[in-house]
Amino acid sequence: MNKFWKTLLKILGKTLLIGFITFVLTFALYMFNGENKLIYYVVRPFLNKHYDSQVRDRKV
Amino acid sequence: MKAIDKLIAPLDKALERFDPLWQAEHGTGGLRSRYYDKTGVAKWREWRGVKDTLYDYTAWIKNIICMVQMVAMAPLPILKGFWEYRWMGSYLGTFMFIDRLFEGYRGPELRIAHMNMHAIVQSLTKRIAFALKNDARLGGGPDTENIIPHDETITPLFLKGFKGLYPFPLQTLPEFIICDVDQHIEPYYVDVAESFGLPADVCSRCAAETGVAIDDAFPLFGKVMLSTNMPCNASEATSMFQRRRIGKPDFPITLAMQHNEKEALPYSRQTLLDAIAFVEEHYGVKYDWDEFFKYAKLMNEQNTIELEKWDFFKTPYSPLSGVSESLYRLYSWQSVNGQDPYFNKVDRKVIEIIRKAYEQKYLPFGGKTRHRAFLWGPSAVYYTDFPTWVQNCWGITIVLNMDSTMGFNMIDTEDPEKALDDLTRFTEKACMRHHAVGGWDNINALWTWAKEFNCDMILFNDNIACKGMLGTHALMEEQAREMGFHFIFVEHDLEDSRTVSRQDMRNCVNNYMSVVLGEKPLDPTIVEFDDAAAY
Repeated sequence: MNKFWKTLLKILGKTLLIGFITFVLTFALYMFNGENKLIYYVVRPFLNKHYDSQVRDRKV
Repeated sequence: MKAIDKLIAPLDKALERFDPLWQAEHGTGGLRSRYYDKTGVAKWREWRGVKDTLYDYTAWIKNIICMVQMVAMAPLPILKGFWEYRWMGSYLGTFMFIDRLFEGYRGPELRIAHMNMHAIVQSLTKRIAFALKNDARLGGGPDTENIIPHDETITPLFLKGFKGLYPFPLQTLPEFIICDVDQHIEPYYVDVAESFGLPADVCSRCAAETGVAIDDAFPLFGKVMLSTNMPCNASEATSMFQRRRIGKPDFPITLAMQHNEKEALPYSRQTLLDAIAFVEEHYGVKYDWDEFFKYAKLMNEQNTIELEKWDFFKTPYSPLSGVSESLYRLYSWQSVNGQDPYFNKVDRKVIEIIRKAYEQKYLPFGGKTRHRAFLWGPSAVYYTDFPTWVQNCWGITIVLNMDSTMGFNMIDTEDPEKALDDLTRFTEKACMRHHAVGGWDNINALWTWAKEFNCDMILFNDNIACKGMLGTHALMEEQAREMGFHFIFVEHDLEDSRTVSRQDMRNCVNNYMSVVLGEKPLDPTIVEFDDAAAY
């Protein structure tokens, strides 16, 4: 096998491996509803605290 | 495809006990089993079988990519927007919203639902980036002066004749859309309005919009505001509050209320012409009919496909129904209105799936449909995922929603005079105006729609703060009896879920189904549950 094919296979192998790892990680995040738990229990409470502390000029 | 199905069949069999639909059938659980109490947060996502779960996963990835693109389009304004506007935080609930809406969806129902939803997500994320990038409160942008802000119930299509200007429904982002995603956002704005003495018995949509204005939570752009006379005095009042607070020159597009009468057409037509002249004067841009015709053609195609869909809806074989039909039509008609060719692309794909399903005599939702219902339902049906719940709990398929029947007439794309007539009729049949005003005939049309679509049931949302529609309550009930429909009033306070909770709304159906009809639920885990803390 010449050098070109070896390099190509190596790149392909690495791409597949990275693709597979990305799939496993994102699928786990998806399946265990990770992003929604983070948003509901961490991000939104933090943002709501900030919104509640805002001073608004509401003179009409 | 069949080979793949064969390959994954053993895996599907081994994992079927995790499928909530299977659990409900076998008495081992159901759709509610995977949730933490009250919050609406699921411990894990729904297992729908290998193929459908992977499809749902790829749809989730596609929506995440849209959100990343949105941030990449305007990173700083998006960050500022999150910091400045409370309603921006609510958009983080979108993923949970989508999960809730499509619970129990499988096969072509799921595919169509995600195609439709992705169209909304890709459009909305672009709009958020565009609005915040040009929001004068956040520093403004290159198009701040090129945007025409208008009322959410004005059809943006007719404003597409202004080349280089961008019509933007002002209330859409902080109110009209987000109230569907998060039930807790609008009560905050309602309270802001009521703290200034606004009575607590007005329509919560109008109260919330007033609150958004007083809270300075509308993005600011454009040189003018195009408001409108709306179906009720509360919404006219909120237009006035918004005008005073925002302080831009305002043109109220006052379309004829009794729009079914032929004599009303010249009046409404002139109003549109006056609005065009108003924009020309303030922006210095001439109206271009050829530019308008480009978008009118897209709208005509949207409506042509919609009419074909309706023929399939009349049969038991349509995989498009419920929330994926009504939410998509509401957004693609009222908000997109021929402006985005992506929606035409989606429509073409979806109609292909529907045609195929009809040829194969495909029965959606596992053939568990017991009743076909016409829905008279506004925002309160979305944050409660009501159409999905009635399907999963009682086997009631929502065939069509009242909002889906908005302006479906074709618009002439060659002659400006004819086009203006068509456009006037089209605009008069916009959201709410089409059904809730314009005389008794428009409300009564409900019976004809329900009959034409072979429905045996009507779910009639009863906004307890809508003074106009409250007057029709007993009349509708009497007529339903005479016409022989199962008729269920679903009480709600539109965007204020504190007055009538989600469970209170569900109980309206539960009581009818169990007491009057004596039916048993398909999934007992979702008959009664507390989701008061859910988005």
